[in-house]
Amino acid sequence: MEGRVITRATGRAAGPTTGFALLPRSAGARRFPAFLAGVGALVIALAALHIGLGTVRIVPGEVAAALLGRAADPVHRQIVWELRLPRTLIALVAGAMLGLAGALLQAITRNPLASPSLTGVSAGGVLAVVAWLSFAPAGLAAAGVLPLLALAGGLTTITLVYALSWQGGSDPTRLALSGILVGAICSAITLILLVLDAQRIGSVLRWIIGSVNGRVWVHWEILWPWALAALPLGLLSAGAANALGLGDATAAGLGQRPERARAALLFVAALLTAGAVAVVGAIGFIGLIGPHLARRLVGDDARRAFPLSAVVAAAILLAADVVAQALTLEFPFGDATRRAGLPVGALTALLGAPFFLYLMLREER
Amino acid sequence: MSTIGRNGRDGTTLAALRAAEVRVGYGERAVLDGLELDIAPGTVTAVVGPNGSGKSTLLKTLARLLRPDAGAVFLDGAEIASLPTAAVARRLAVLPQGPTAPGGLTVGELVEQGRYPHAGPLRMLRMQDHEAIRTALALTDMTTYAARPLDGLSGGERQRAWIALALAQDTPTLLLDEPTTFLDIGHQLEVLDLIRRLNRERGLTIVLVLHDLNQAARYAERLVVLDRGRVVADGAPQDVLTTALLAEVFGVRARILADPESGAPLCLPYAVVGRD
Ligand SMILES: Nc1ncnc2c1ncn2[C@@H]1O[C@H](COP(=O)(O)OP(=O)(O)OP(=O)(O)O)[C@@H](O)[C@H]1O
Ligand SMILES: [Mg+2]
Repeated sequence: MEGRVITRATGRAAGPTTGFALLPRSAGARRFPAFLAGVGALVIALAALHIGLGTVRIVPGEVAAALLGRAADPVHRQIVWELRLPRTLIALVAGAMLGLAGALLQAITRNPLASPSLTGVSAGGVLAVVAWLSFAPAGLAAAGVLPLLALAGGLTTITLVYALSWQGGSDPTRLALSGILVGAICSAITLILLVLDAQRIGSVLRWIIGSVNGRVWVHWEILWPWALAALPLGLLSAGAANALGLGDATAAGLGQRPERARAALLFVAALLTAGAVAVVGAIGFIGLIGPHLARRLVGDDARRAFPLSAVVAAAILLAADVVAQALTLEFPFGDATRRAGLPVGALTALLGAPFFLYLMLREER
Repeated sequence: MSTIGRNGRDGTTLAALRAAEVRVGYGERAVLDGLELDIAPGTVTAVVGPNGSGKSTLLKTLARLLRPDAGAVFLDGAEIASLPTAAVARRLAVLPQGPTAPGGLTVGELVEQGRYPHAGPLRMLRMQDHEAIRTALALTDMTTYAARPLDGLSGGERQRAWIALALAQDTPTLLLDEPTTFLDIGHQLEVLDLIRRLNRERGLTIVLVLHDLNQAARYAERLVVLDRGRVVADGAPQDVLTTALLAEVFGVRARILADPESGAPLCLPYAVVGRD
């Protein structure tokens, strides 16, 4: 007893003398700046590599020269500026959006297995695109409409999911369940539409699998406003996510309105997901693995886990696409068969599925 | 805090917390029905009663975590449902029963959440926030655990971290649901001593749910006994704890002595008689 009293006395005495004696920080907090900088540097390196990859391969030195407008070959300059830079930017930003969306959803559902595909937003977006391609008059199928359709589909789905899970209140588990349900139904309808209209498969496939191939500045124009709005919103909701993570009773005791906070965070996650899916399609597993790795590195505090999730997911998507682009193959692309990189979504699923299994087995223990 | 603000219109002391004709339940079934309770400022009140008698429900209702179907709860005279929830959180902290947190969160990060209602929109911690966190950790003897993740703690250490969270909220009123569960006897007494100290030195109003009747009698000046959602006894421990009440409410035959240490009543249950 005496010893404890002394601890308390010194604990209090330390306050005024040092003025701002900070508590010992956790390992995660200490490592956070280094991890953020390290993964950030990795993203830049991967981006440089990514720009160089494609049907025409350009070495990183030439990429840098082209970006600075000093490329030896004017064709290289044109390829880098017109085709590769937007594709890389889109991969990077879409990856970050999916990663942040996953981190938000894992916090909201208090479930480490949650991911953007869990909310049904991806599947809903894809369904909207496929339905449009199947039913809209041929003349109207302009490429620019599709991303907006994916957005509308995604946001409609999340509203439906939320409404279905509502039983006098929302609940993380019910939310996850109705997300899985609605997502499965959307995917099933998508498949039925495809079976009925098999010749569309080529143009629809990249939405379902998810790919950054052929993404140029028009697509970037659609993506960046969403990213600019939704990424800061997601990062700023870290404080609310932390409180919500303590359970509804504690969160309410701390002055939060858990129902309202959950709905708001869910909407932000849906915005992030829909924005990304609208441009790159339903790339899977990025939003599951990114946040999981990030939390492993810096702990569960959302103020660190959220930004790192975004950066880690961007790095994973870029790395996966670097590999996918390196494995260039014949790919049915619209009406013609073109040489193109493997769709990155196929690779993330290939690598992500075993990782998911590993996670589930770990959680079981 | 002015004396005028403390007094009601009729000149009596205004309750820190008041439940008026409260009916609460889950779904159709009312757990508490027409319950009346006044908590005077600066007092320690223990709520006791058998499992399922509605203690947690009462505490959650007082803390506006449950909304009554009928009746109302008043905090310092104002209806709690009409106050902004962040304003309530600056005046009233609650430790729910069996709280959970992400296991990777550290003690320091958990306790920091106590500043949630005080912090600005960007949730940056200011000087007074750090001070409150440090004090809360020191009071619960958790300073050295600040950097440890919660899933690496014993049940008792975790419970103390949660108490520290409520203390970091730095409120004049504290509601604690079974704050001594998981604690060894030494830490139980330490938490109860802390509660007494917060009450005596800082004038905190404290309502706590306890299962140990002897501890309740020793540390609280008032016992409220709940049974099947009704207040069946309410008053000073020596008036409330009777052999008849113990038989009636808890279904035990007991002997009641005076604690040689404190003079508080001491129950020695020796047989189960069962309840109707
Ligand atoms: N979320 C809930 N949904 C439905 N019924 C509930 C819920 N919480 C509690 N109850 C019921 O309300 C009654 C009172 O529960 P409460 O938790 O208030 O009891 P308690 O006195 O705190 O018990 P304990 O000593 O076991 O903590 C019990 O019959 C319980 O089954
Ligand atoms: Mg209880």
